[in-house]
Amino acid sequence: MRRERREQLQTGLMLAPSLLLLGLFILLPLCVVFAYSFALRDPYGAVLPGFTFDNYKELVQGVYLRVLANSVSLAAWTTALCLLLGYPVAYFIAFKAGRAAPVLLLLLLIPFWVNFLIRISAWVVLLGRGGLINQGLVASGLIDEPIGMLGTVGATLVGMVYAFLPMAVFPIYAALTPIDRRLMEAGADLGAGPAETFARVTLPLSLPGVLAAALFVFVPSMGVFAIPVLLGGGKDIILGNLIVQLFLEFRNVPVGAAVSILLLGFSGLGILLYMRALRRVEAMK
Amino acid sequence: MTARAKAPGWFLRRVVHGAPGWITLLTYLFMLLPFAVLITFAFNAGKSTVVWTGFSFRWFEKVVSNGNILDAMQVSLIVAVASAAVSTAIGATAAVAITRRSFPGRDVLGAALAAPLVLPEIVLAVALLMFMSFAGMTLGYTTLIIGHVLVSIPFATLIVRAAASSLDPRLEDAAADLGANEWQTFTMVTLPQLIPAIFTAFILSATLSFDNLVMSTFTSGVGTTTLPLRIYSMLKLGITPEINALGALMVLANVTILLLVMGRYLPLMLKTNRR
Repeated sequence: MRRERREQLQTGLMLAPSLLLLGLFILLPLCVVFAYSFALRDPYGAVLPGFTFDNYKELVQGVYLRVLANSVSLAAWTTALCLLLGYPVAYFIAFKAGRAAPVLLLLLLIPFWVNFLIRISAWVVLLGRGGLINQGLVASGLIDEPIGMLGTVGATLVGMVYAFLPMAVFPIYAALTPIDRRLMEAGADLGAGPAETFARVTLPLSLPGVLAAALFVFVPSMGVFAIPVLLGGGKDIILGNLIVQLFLEFRNVPVGAAVSILLLGFSGLGILLYMRALRRVEAMK
Repeated sequence: MTARAKAPGWFLRRVVHGAPGWITLLTYLFMLLPFAVLITFAFNAGKSTVVWTGFSFRWFEKVVSNGNILDAMQVSLIVAVASAAVSTAIGATAAVAITRRSFPGRDVLGAALAAPLVLPEIVLAVALLMFMSFAGMTLGYTTLIIGHVLVSIPFATLIVRAAASSLDPRLEDAAADLGANEWQTFTMVTLPQLIPAIFTAFILSATLSFDNLVMSTFTSGVGTTTLPLRIYSMLKLGITPEINALGALMVLANVTILLLVMGRYLPLMLKTNRR
């Protein structure tokens, strides 16, 4: 009996730091944001006590709606491209690379040795008017004059895919490696061509990894703010930029809080969709 | 079927079969080319990051004599080591409790500790900022370290959890059979087996902290500008090879740390494996 109590006490002590951290610095602060998103404010931006839906109503105005549309479309494009590129790469590493597989995985991590902003700066240089890509295109005769690639949505997208691609490759790779090769061989033995084996055996078995990859790319890409500024010229801003501006430049805390809650809602929706899709995939097996 | 009728199908199959290889090659070019260009132009003599004018170390000299960068690097190092230590300690304790003890809400806690992975970091950062100003705390080292712990805690917990759940419980039983008390079993049997994972968790947490921009944007105060924040403000003014030189120095530092760690650590890992 005493031993049991002591064990309970020990477990409690082991859990205390993490519970404190989660409660005090995640849960409670999120509640504060939620509360502030309904607060009133005076014309100078100071927060006043009260309750209003105005901060949310402000979000459905033209400017904010455009930011929202930008964010969703940029995140969706980033996710789609990361999956389209990441799947073949993960497939190659898992099934075809053989002994080179660990090296290829490591190579994917090497860029992380340099600060992410410095790597983005390399893209700013590469995509610039005098940059290597324009030089190459002019030299090959494809274009006559350097084209302005910086400051476009395309440039932002290049930076986004560059930043998030590893996040897509790793979960897909992790889902592909444990697939029993005998299942793939069985598909071939039963007369399925490579395409049919892929579509009916490999792809369905790796879907949980694809779903995880989509979640890991989509959620953080909505909250990014440095890439659209550095590569996109700050023209097509997204929710991340909006939050930075509202909090650090305009000091408009209530509307900033409302935007944050909206972003949180989007992530929650993403997680919900992920879990539903995952259950459906598991049920298929 | 004639050979000619077969040819297009054969060709298509060949292309489809080789596609993952080609896409992989191009993707690696896409990932590594900027990296190579970046390092090369760190040694450029001229002020351009595009036109090569000769070899020089002048930009490295400029970086190591730039007080702003050195100050920021010091702040980043302090925050990285402190936040990684806190994160690893809390994460490892929770991971051991989750894998070794049964208590109500175990699965919920496991999921909650992984939650910052799928919550937008910027929202966590804003929430922390608002909470801190609500609580009347000034922004500085404390707020930065707390913020960075939130960013790295999911990774620290997951790494130690994975290691703890793959331990052989029979070793602990054997220790108990041989007369070791609970504390001895933990410090002499369980903990040594977890050291590699705890170490990995620490290194990864420190790396994440050192590279962090989003959380730092909202939680750093006057005099605690971290290196990524400094780089971001430098980049907004324009790019010189000084940035490239800083990047090259980061690669050098990482390789050195990796070699040092490997040299001291690899024999230890091999030994534990053999046992």
